[in-house]
Amino acid sequence: MISARSVTIVAMFAVLVTLQFTLRPILGWRAGIDFLVIALLILAVRVRPGTAAIAGFAMGLISDAMSPEALGAGALALTIVGFAASRLKSAFFAENIGVNAIFIIVGKCAADAIFLLAEQRLGGGALLSQLLLWTPLAALVTAAVGVMVLVLVRPTLERRRQ
Amino acid sequence: MPRGARTDTRADTAVAAVCVTLALVLLILPDAPRDRVAGIVRGNLVGPLAALQQRASLARRSFVSNDSVVRAADSLVLQAQRAEALVAENSQLRRQLSLGRALRWGFIPAEALVGRGLGDEHTLVLSAGARAGVERLSAVVTADGIVGMISAVDAGTSVAITWPHPDFRVSATSADGSAFGIVSAHPGVGAERYLLELRGVPFRARLLPGTPIVSSGLGGVFPRGVLIGTVLEELEGVSTWARTFVLRPAVRPADVTQVMVLLAERNAEGVESVWAPAVQAMLQRVIAGGDSLARVDSVAKGDTVRGRDSSVTPDSTRPPAGRRP
Repeated sequence: MISARSVTIVAMFAVLVTLQFTLRPILGWRAGIDFLVIALLILAVRVRPGTAAIAGFAMGLISDAMSPEALGAGALALTIVGFAASRLKSAFFAENIGVNAIFIIVGKCAADAIFLLAEQRLGGGALLSQLLLWTPLAALVTAAVGVMVLVLVRPTLERRRQ
Repeated sequence: MPRGARTDTRADTAVAAVCVTLALVLLILPDAPRDRVAGIVRGNLVGPLAALQQRASLARRSFVSNDSVVRAADSLVLQAQRAEALVAENSQLRRQLSLGRALRWGFIPAEALVGRGLGDEHTLVLSAGARAGVERLSAVVTADGIVGMISAVDAGTSVAITWPHPDFRVSATSADGSAFGIVSAHPGVGAERYLLELRGVPFRARLLPGTPIVSSGLGGVFPRGVLIGTVLEELEGVSTWARTFVLRPAVRPADVTQVMVLLAERNAEGVESVWAPAVQAMLQRVIAGGDSLARVDSVAKGDTVRGRDSSVTPDSTRPPAGRRP
């Protein structure tokens, strides 16, 4: 039987994935919010590492399908990030908001770094500026939104757990 | 670590390794199969999301372009408004040039320096003064007709009172000379403030709506024949010994930008021929309007006659259209 908590997580996951393909293009920021990373990290700490890896692979594949030139790069990045996040689940969802924010920043930076290195589209100065400037900025924005999401959903999830 | 947990960990690692391997395989695929795989994923899994993303991109594009579209529309509206004002000014200047050609001599062209502040409603400051030969009580006209008269003269500028001024008076006559009177501003409220009144018209005189009224030349300020306005209607019950008519002015002071100040010598020479074509055209319109009314009336009466005796035609019983009995 599917628990109410699982339904909440799935709904939140669906909303975040939808936001990735609706709100993100509307905002059009250079350092945009990565809702997929937030969704993956929230899901990853609640499932087994293998399941998190499959979820990351699926999400990456969906993301890659929009830009076929880098097909596989997003899947690789999110698979690794999902698997790693699930392994480190004790750190994530700790009481400290700052730890959660750092976790999202690291996850986003890792996902971007793996993606950029795997797709091999950027090189030299462009790659460096992307990795050292835009990716950290995007990670900060993503972490801010991720923390807001966690603050919003945490009471619901904890009540369900009790 | 218990054996079960260790097995689970190995299984998770194996699943992750398979996913990573699949991702790497996708990465190194040649273009054609990679596009095929991407197409399959897009067609089966990402279709709705792709549609969402497309709509979001369109929404962003329209949102971003909204400001520039509004700016462009505003600029166009502004240009259109300016163009309209330029066309009006150009037309007025052309008419002034034609007026200058018709007058030939004895006039001073001047620009109306429009203030349009409080108190400016009844006066115009003109860019020509005593140095240019402007004298007090000179007539101020445009190609459309009377504007007013000079009330004060400085060296470089002069002030004219326009016809809405309470002190403005001009002796007037109908274009055919059948009616005389004094024209002044109509003391109405609202939009009626911008009409004229022709007072003191004898009861025997008959003025149809649309009849042009021109200056009579009496009084020495305005020469005979300058168009003042056209008859709108008769005001009932104003006076017991004479008729009063409301006139539509020929000139709207608010639209005046260029004027001519007529010199006394030119007034003595006469300017009737200048406004005569416009006055004649107005008279023709009034006559044509009266004729068509008479024709309608005669046809209506003819129908009645035909009803009594079909052998009698309306034409044989009434004077021809346009001829007065």
